[in-house]
Amino acid sequence: MESEVDGILVAAHELKAPLALIRQLAFSFDGLNQENENIRTEMIAVSERAIKQVNDLSKVRRLEDGLFEMEPVSIRAVCDEVSHELGQLFSYNEKTLYKKYSNHSKLVTANHDLLYSVIYNFLLNALHYSDKETQAKLLIKDNKGYVKVVVRDYGPTLPVDIWRELKRGWVEKPVSIAMRPGSSGLGLYIASKFSKYMNAKVGAVRHRDGTSFIVELPISKQASLFV
Amino acid sequence: MIFIIDDDKMMAECIKKACQKDDVKIFSNAILAMEEISDGKIPDLIFLDILLDGPDGFTFINELMSYSDTANMPIVIVSSLDYSKADLSSYGVVGILNKDMMTPMEIKKYVDKYAI
Repeated sequence: MESEVDGILVAAHELKAPLALIRQLAFSFDGLNQENENIRTEMIAVSERAIKQVNDLSKVRRLEDGLFEMEPVSIRAVCDEVSHELGQLFSYNEKTLYKKYSNHSKLVTANHDLLYSVIYNFLLNALHYSDKETQAKLLIKDNKGYVKVVVRDYGPTLPVDIWRELKRGWVEKPVSIAMRPGSSGLGLYIASKFSKYMNAKVGAVRHRDGTSFIVELPISKQASLFV
Repeated sequence: MIFIIDDDKMMAECIKKACQKDDVKIFSNAILAMEEISDGKIPDLIFLDILLDGPDGFTFINELMSYSDTANMPIVIVSSLDYSKADLSSYGVVGILNKDMMTPMEIKKYVDKYAI
């Protein structure tokens, strides 16, 4: 298992250089008309998402080293950062993201970068699998000593086997989700691993018209006093 | 004059283009750049990759620091490794760019400041 994971790490490292180069080459085009400008923008965005996924894969390997510090993190700020980054992509795909923050506890105990990736992966998933006529939802609520972040999509519902794994608390390995074409399950695997590291509860609720992905994070009690 | 030291030729060309200057030289390793400096061609600014064929970027920086005329040369590190939290100002490093996420505007900002 160890050598298998290290193989992933090496592959991730090898993939980063060409992805970064593609991104820079896209920047270097001059005098583009609007259509080609759109293509350039898409090339940059796709490269950046791929680089992020490669970086996340490297982080999965480094979780064992315990290098990611847990600290009080503003959950609303992280959700805003992610939704801002993906906002353009939602617009480009003619989809909308509805946000509702009703939590009173502002700070959770988490690692900022890992939490960012969890929400990023959930939202990216919602973007891919929500129909154009529907909107994905990003909700933050309080829930008995935890803050719950819910990302609801309106697409094919989650298969029972994956739902069971999530109910258990984590996804063992990336598994292609048959009812969601093009899905490798990698984003869910990464989100699951990061959540587990942060002692967060990860889960999903199956709906007839989609899925809600949930991460529940412990409230940071000390620092909440100062907010 | 600006030096770019990077073993990835295409990446170096992208950085060169972002500089928007004529007087830019690309070196694929630190030894070639050091030879040029030894010949008296002192750049105003260096964009330096860290993982290079042969001596790495930090070896190159240490070499520069050991001579009085190059000890304070402005260097911008350009790397895929994460140095975002490192303070390398004592090495003459005036900036750190992450290859994965840098933009041409960020590169140009250093050119405008150090290589007018």
